[in-house]
Amino acid sequence: MAVGDAGVANASPPVARVRRRRAPSSAIAFLSIAAALVAAAICVGPALAVLISAVTGARPAFEAFQQGLFLDSAAGTIVLVTLGAGAATLLGATAALLVTLMRFPGRSVFEWLLVAPLAAPAYALAYSYSSLTWAGGPVPAPLTGFVGAAFVYAVGFFPYVYLATRAALVAQSPSALGAARTLGAAPLRATLRIALPLARPGVAAGAALVAMEVAADYGAAVHFGVPTIATGIFRARGPFQDALLGNQMAAVLLIAALVFLWLERAARGRRKFVARDAHARPAEPFRAPWYAAGLATLFCAALVLFGALLPMSWLARLAMLNSNADLASLLRPLTNSVALAAIGAAATLALAILIARAARAGAVGRFAALFAASGYAAPGVVIALGALSVYGLARSLGWVGGLAAPAALLLLVWAYAARFTAPGAQPIEAGMARVTPGIAGAARTLGASAARRLWRIDLPLAGPSFVAAAIIVFVEILKELPATLLLRPLSFDTLAVRAHTYAADERMVEAAAPALLLTLVGLVPIVMLTRRLDRAAGAAR
Amino acid sequence: MPLRPSRRLVLAAAAFGALAACTQRAPSDAAGVAQDADARHVNVYTTRHYGSDQAVYRRFTEETGIEVRVLEIGGAELFDRLQTEGDQTAADLIVTVDGGALWRLAEAGMLQPLSTPALQAAAPARFRDPDNRWWAFAKRARVIVYNKESVDPVILRSMDDLAQARFRGQVCARSSANTYNLSMLAARIERAGADNARDWARGVVENFARQPQGADTEQIRAVAAGQCQVAISNHYYLLRLQNSDDPADREVASKVGVFIPDQDGAGAHVNISGAGVSAYSPRVAQATRLLEFLLSPESQSLFANLTNEFPVRPDVELTPGLAALGRFHEEQIPFEALGRRQAEAARIYEEVGWR
Repeated sequence: MAVGDAGVANASPPVARVRRRRAPSSAIAFLSIAAALVAAAICVGPALAVLISAVTGARPAFEAFQQGLFLDSAAGTIVLVTLGAGAATLLGATAALLVTLMRFPGRSVFEWLLVAPLAAPAYALAYSYSSLTWAGGPVPAPLTGFVGAAFVYAVGFFPYVYLATRAALVAQSPSALGAARTLGAAPLRATLRIALPLARPGVAAGAALVAMEVAADYGAAVHFGVPTIATGIFRARGPFQDALLGNQMAAVLLIAALVFLWLERAARGRRKFVARDAHARPAEPFRAPWYAAGLATLFCAALVLFGALLPMSWLARLAMLNSNADLASLLRPLTNSVALAAIGAAATLALAILIARAARAGAVGRFAALFAASGYAAPGVVIALGALSVYGLARSLGWVGGLAAPAALLLLVWAYAARFTAPGAQPIEAGMARVTPGIAGAARTLGASAARRLWRIDLPLAGPSFVAAAIIVFVEILKELPATLLLRPLSFDTLAVRAHTYAADERMVEAAAPALLLTLVGLVPIVMLTRRLDRAAGAAR
Repeated sequence: MPLRPSRRLVLAAAAFGALAACTQRAPSDAAGVAQDADARHVNVYTTRHYGSDQAVYRRFTEETGIEVRVLEIGGAELFDRLQTEGDQTAADLIVTVDGGALWRLAEAGMLQPLSTPALQAAAPARFRDPDNRWWAFAKRARVIVYNKESVDPVILRSMDDLAQARFRGQVCARSSANTYNLSMLAARIERAGADNARDWARGVVENFARQPQGADTEQIRAVAAGQCQVAISNHYYLLRLQNSDDPADREVASKVGVFIPDQDGAGAHVNISGAGVSAYSPRVAQATRLLEFLLSPESQSLFANLTNEFPVRPDVELTPGLAALGRFHEEQIPFEALGRRQAEAARIYEEVGWR
């Protein structure tokens, strides 16, 4: 999986994947592994709490499989993951192939503009599209139910696949593709026969990320009235007054995510045949006939239009209708959002670095990393409830007091870290892979201490991917809704919370401004990140 | 996945089992929280996110100098949070929508019985907990919205009509996961029995013009657009559309009519917004003052003007919009039934395929 490791993740020589650094036996190394395991335990905590309460309830867990609510919800999630992630994958991979391999008008702008939809939370897209297409609305498209949700996921999440695929293409395809073309293969044939297979791991990684996003999404699914496990958990806990069933459904989702992640990693582990010669130059994008170039421009423009431009300008129009607009009242939520996302990203990053180190150290570490990553597929509310139940345990034991501002914020940051370790750790792992055994070994041989190696070698080499990880987690936290809603302290609203409370009551005119502001705040770092990575990739050429 | 049952895991499981046991115990032995009579603030946990409430809190602060600190939260999350926080909760006043939710909070021991002459004078007996743990301060009716062009309201009498064959393919309603629909069916179960409720829900599902989607406003839009002829909605959504900043909303409102059903029968289904003082509040005096303020004539007319809810006090004048709906006959069931019957209602909806 690779969101932000474009140009970095796969630039590592293949040796790093084949042979792992042997764990040094010094006390510091031991401590760093121990710290990593503690970090993983911290990240796993909330999910584990949910799993445990799912299997220790009054009813055996398998009975959940006989409940109509569970079956409907699971079927809905499967349909949506297939439709939404399938469409997002198709769109994202196609866009990546076009942008990387073909020359067409606007290509250099689309290269980074195609990432813009990442800044918009799925629920904001859902609000906007449903108010564009609702009964009697300006666009008479029936964007409802499964179709509506799958559409929003496709146009909102395709950038994950786009980024990962492009990273794979930029890093790996040039020489093989160049050879194929030198040997006279037509561009289309070369793309299908050479570029696509080489990009497959990237496509798969992006698809896995989208699948987890779709499975975890609550806001858009509930807005379109689609039964999914994420919305079913709410139904079980609310109307059915059956918290145990809710926990069991959450556990199923978590376990499915674990299996999924494990499969994805296993598939990635075999990707050893791809080699990149550090001196190879990426193949020049080919010149396409005018109609093909025109189609490519149209395709990319449509993606940007539907993923960002149209829904956001509609929100802007709605926001301007609001006669009671009080932009000043959004200042506090804005600063809260940014501060919370920054603190959350810092904490998540610290834990993710420790976990990524553990993942490089051996099987135990890899398993811990896998488990820690499963939180990403869990709806935010599941993780938040897990964190809350651990707090409840500590409170009932008299270890902690009330859930006032510092404690509530700490709990919230914990939930963020538990949920977003995966998108944080992935780029970091990829970046750390650049510290090859050769480099590390040389430093050790020359007598550099572990701390010195971390400072002088690991950080400079892997630094850029740390920045990428930080930005991605920052934006994810900015968009996060259910955990924030449940765990935040009194008198503490974020933009996401503001947008939601209005939209949940169908007051789109009032919801529009915070939703739009939230997207704009996320857009800045996302675009900066992509442009920076593009420059890095360009420099590598 | 190699999950070997280790001793640690078993221990952890035991710990969480104990936790579940702890948190499910009703903390009814609430007395004995040290009181801070001089506090200049009061903490409110609320599931309502209305401008009217913020206006009321602002007025309260102006009048008393007591700052109102608010946590807006969803219904299910409110319960989770209060349960986990237990006797350490920061909440002084708990405000929510739906009689069932109020009953559930009271049953879990999260609210304390409390009564003052001002409260007694303001709320009619039906609009408060028999044990004085919660007090309603506003009410809303579930009504039928119809397309003025295609439906002559004289053919409408009752919510029962929406289950009859003559409305085949013409009815819109929101999801059954929504509290308003759950409580409406819970009330029907209470008043007419589960079989009646099941038949009615099945009949409505057979009459659906489309699968449930969106909230009540979306149903009104669908009626205005002619996608369905009749829909179920809370009364205030239409008033809100009439007063909207968006001209398209006002256009929608102009195309639909409101019918308050069951006036010669059981009465229209009514639900409440209410509040109670937290069982563990260290600021009971301040919370009580705010509760009284919610029921004051001034606040009641703020709710009526800004959220278009009906006041609970009979002595508060209705806004023109509410007055146009008129005083009407209400379904007479105890509000606690909405909570007691909710899970049953959810199962019936699921059984008949009302998503």
